[in-house]
Amino acid sequence: MLLALLVAAQLPRVAIERRLAAEAALRVGDTVALASTADSAGTRAVVGAVFEPPADPAAVLRREYRVRLHLPDLAGLLGEPDRVDRFGVALRPGVSPDSAASRLNALAFGFRAYPSKAIAAESSRTFLVVSRFHRAIAVISIVASAVFLLCIMLLKVEERRADAAVMRFVGVRRRTIFGALLLEAALVALLGSLLGTGIAFGAGALTNLYYQRLFETRLVFSLITPSIVAFSVALSLALGLAAGALAAARLTRTRPMVLWGRG
Amino acid sequence: MGWGPRSLARHPLRTALSLAGIAVAAAMLLDMVMLSGGLERSFADLMLTRGFQIRVTPAGTLPFDADATIAGAGGLRDTLRADPRVAVAGAVLGASLHARRGDSVVTLFAYGVEPEAQGIYQLESGRDLAPGDSAGLLLSQPAAAILHARPGDQVTLAASLDPGTAGARAERTFVVRGMVRWLYDYRGQRSIGLPLATLQAMTGRAAEDRVSLLMVKVRPGADAGLVARSFRERHPRVAANSVADLVAAFRVRMLYFRQLAWILGTVSLLVTILLVTTLLTITVNERLGEIVTLRAIGVSRAHVVRQVMAEGLALTLLGALLGAALGLVTARYLDAILTSFPGLPAAFSFFVPRPDAIALAGAALLVTGTLAGIYPAWRAAGAPIAATLRAEAT
Repeated sequence: MLLALLVAAQLPRVAIERRLAAEAALRVGDTVALASTADSAGTRAVVGAVFEPPADPAAVLRREYRVRLHLPDLAGLLGEPDRVDRFGVALRPGVSPDSAASRLNALAFGFRAYPSKAIAAESSRTFLVVSRFHRAIAVISIVASAVFLLCIMLLKVEERRADAAVMRFVGVRRRTIFGALLLEAALVALLGSLLGTGIAFGAGALTNLYYQRLFETRLVFSLITPSIVAFSVALSLALGLAAGALAAARLTRTRPMVLWGRG
Repeated sequence: MGWGPRSLARHPLRTALSLAGIAVAAAMLLDMVMLSGGLERSFADLMLTRGFQIRVTPAGTLPFDADATIAGAGGLRDTLRADPRVAVAGAVLGASLHARRGDSVVTLFAYGVEPEAQGIYQLESGRDLAPGDSAGLLLSQPAAAILHARPGDQVTLAASLDPGTAGARAERTFVVRGMVRWLYDYRGQRSIGLPLATLQAMTGRAAEDRVSLLMVKVRPGADAGLVARSFRERHPRVAANSVADLVAAFRVRMLYFRQLAWILGTVSLLVTILLVTTLLTITVNERLGEIVTLRAIGVSRAHVVRQVMAEGLALTLLGALLGAALGLVTARYLDAILTSFPGLPAAFSFFVPRPDAIALAGAALLVTGTLAGIYPAWRAAGAPIAATLRAEAT
């Protein structure tokens, strides 16, 4: 027992991510075998900690398990002592990362220095592409919604042909009828916008619930910001009013007998 | 053409707006059908470009997914070639090499290949590497451009650079034999190819005979899935995947796009149903007097139902035709966006315009348009004749 404890104390310590610990039923203090390839002998290590990795959209679909080792332990395991992928460099206050990277690159041979900002920009290229795709889909959706809204508003106002005819027969002015139809269109557009906003929040919540469970992550997949709501409501109101005005103008220009179906 | 479809011409603005709405919805539906099926089809086509149906990689990895390599590749390759179901088996090693260009150093991605059994490039000009040609080099267009090299030129490559001594390790000079297109390169990737044994020697992987993957082509009639499975069972330290296995793994990674395609496709169909139903309902309400008059002079309910549903079908059909054209244009635009993903093979497409995808989207839309006419048709056929005529007369 004592010997086993002594041996365990000499083994390297590793930290494993919570998902791996759960799926492999590992706990702090357990001994695991690590190898760089499936066919190599590898080495044994003791689970020193279980950690929750930061939510990373780049890794969410890869489903890889993460293990953290001390650098010398990993280098030894890979058989490449004193060899690293990259260095992290913290600069003194006031030193520009761009100028420091330029100076290092002027001296560099076999390596290249990048400011963190450049690495962040490069690594976020995937999400920029996804973002561009979402924007393109959003434009198509907006066009479809706009046409749909125009059509519905036109039909809605045209449904009031008989009412408009009666109002004209009893002497109501065209401007009053136009205003009433426009107000009705605005109310319909506003109610539709509010209902749509509610549906969007509901769908967003369901989307987040589904994907967060599916990928076991805290990432937010659907984010509805006040600016998105404001843009959507403003757009639908503007389109609703435009469509309502167009249809109302056509209706009020038509002779009452034609509206009544006898013209 | 019956009176139902003809009545669409009575309200040109209304009909035009409805057609525009259906066309945009149809375009979205077509794009999403292409996206949901095209991803996998494009990936499978890409994998099978040169007819190799199986990839053997280090256990737990996919081709070029990690830096891991397989040791003892020659033995595995010989085992594969000894299988009577296997037609061709070849190994590939991927590694970084460096070339000097003036005062600067250019990093290139090098493929170590066996030209007699390779499935990762197509020769564009010059000639291929000959067996035993240890000094030959193949270049992609981006690599040739950065190196200012063409067939016949010499290029000096180094396996690694030593920042300590500012010198190159394992430097060798090669002669460019040909220009090739690497099938799995991303756009602009600077790739070169050299004999497998040479690259192994330069990168210190010769002793253990390490490679990144083996590619296998089975004989006609042999089941690639069975060959992969039996090889996997005999060699658990490697992953042997048929193209079907790889497509399944790819499907998991592309889950987001497939689900997005399904959701947006469903929304498109719902929009079409709403548009057609609303338009037909209002049109039927407006023409209720005419419809019941027809009923009064002996026109059957079934005829009225057919005419109203034909009107919906005509509207949907016209919208679908417009939408197909619009969808193909938007698909090219969306594909251009998504294929700019970093690291994605340049030959890959997200939106593949296939006849079956277009037929599926068209059929779904037509069925939807027809179903959308049921409610207004039921209203038109069920209106009481006497009461409606009396109401119309007052």
